[in-house]
Amino acid sequence: MTPAIEVRDLSFQYEDGTPALDGVNFNLGAGETVALFGANGSGKTTFVLQLNGILRGQGSVAICGIPLGDETLPDIRAKIGMVFQDSDEQLFMPTVLEDVSFGPLNHGLNEHDAIARAKLALEQVGMADAAAKAPYHLSAGEKRRVALAGVMAMEPEILVLDEPTTFLDPPAQRNLVNLLRNLPQAKLIVTHNTRFASALATRAVFFEKGKLVAEGTVEEIIQRYDWSYSPFPDADFRYSAHRRF
Amino acid sequence: MHHVLLDQWSRQSSPLHARDPRAKIILLGIFLIALATTRPDAGLTLALDAALLFSGILIAGLPAAGLLLRSMAILPFSLTFGLISWAAGDHWRAIGLVEKSYLSTVAVLLTVGTTTLPALMNGLESLGTPRLLVLVAQFLYRYLFVISEQAQHTRVAAACRHGAGRKYRRVRFRAAAGALAVLFTRSYSRAEGIHRAMLARGFAGTFRPLKPLRFHGADALFTIALAGVFILVRIP
Repeated sequence: MTPAIEVRDLSFQYEDGTPALDGVNFNLGAGETVALFGANGSGKTTFVLQLNGILRGQGSVAICGIPLGDETLPDIRAKIGMVFQDSDEQLFMPTVLEDVSFGPLNHGLNEHDAIARAKLALEQVGMADAAAKAPYHLSAGEKRRVALAGVMAMEPEILVLDEPTTFLDPPAQRNLVNLLRNLPQAKLIVTHNTRFASALATRAVFFEKGKLVAEGTVEEIIQRYDWSYSPFPDADFRYSAHRRF
Repeated sequence: MHHVLLDQWSRQSSPLHARDPRAKIILLGIFLIALATTRPDAGLTLALDAALLFSGILIAGLPAAGLLLRSMAILPFSLTFGLISWAAGDHWRAIGLVEKSYLSTVAVLLTVGTTTLPALMNGLESLGTPRLLVLVAQFLYRYLFVISEQAQHTRVAAACRHGAGRKYRRVRFRAAAGALAVLFTRSYSRAEGIHRAMLARGFAGTFRPLKPLRFHGADALFTIALAGVFILVRIP
């Protein structure tokens, strides 16, 4: 079976020479959900931006069997839907409906079909009532859901979610888990939220200094790298502010 | 956020909002030409032009005071040139310059306030404006929003760490100068993020509107009738 994502020997450095990715190999199976862990600045976001050709490095990337190249970019961008970390950057059209229709229109659908798809996607994320609203009037959780609807309306085969729980309160995080569980697409989730990852992913990979250094089950990776929000150590009042100053 | 006021105005509904953007663009062009060629001492013509614009504001249901006040943004520029003309002894030219520039701004705001940006850009493009120019205008408009939003965030963040009172004024001024550089860097980074998000959703250089433009008979009638009025007002 053709993997949803196949990355071979991917390396990338920014224009100023900063190395960001170093020989990354990665596979995502069709319908599979994988969590992508790693410290801030370890190359996770840079990696996912390579998948739809927004950043281009050395090595090969194939999406649903289509090799990434200048000619295949439109096809690849139709297959891979990306939900960015900051929803405000993703919602740029004047109304929610126009924003969610943006992707389908760009992929050649006529206005009628694009609106139908947008309405369906908004319904799926529970935001149908917000269609006529301006995105900047929404709460952070609502923005996240609309951003997801904008991607779902494109009916991609793969969903890439970069820090999807950022700005979301616990109920909104639970709703997002339920929503994502019911979506059939293969998913790649960049996150620091281990509970969120455990609830959705069957596999995890770990990034360190631009390298993919480990992969395994979510629990294995969390344990190996002590990658969970364990209780904070008790405060040491010898160094508390009022004593020092 | 207050910077989206024009956008909010353009999404209201009124007989003016309902008209095809091309009709409004053509009429704006005719009005501006008629106004520009009006003699500065033709007080009645200018008064009639002002009355027409005021009627337009009322029909569109836009807040007259808000729109007229915002149109004053042009005055610092036109008054400067007006004063130069006045000093040169050409009083009518000075008065005409200020009057015409103000009325032109009201007309532009009335058009923009009754037409959504995508419709306006679509209208301009279908009237033959080069696509690159339309695209630049669209991005400029969007990024102005980005800069304005970032400016508001920066202002709030700075205000939270400001001291109060006179002695902090100099510190605040210095901080504001530094914040300006940060503001543009952050706005640039934000704009880059928006562009990436657009590319990720298949943007290939053209904004496709949800509602394609349709020039109805009513739009043609509206254009002919108002163009006739503008020309009749201008003739004397």
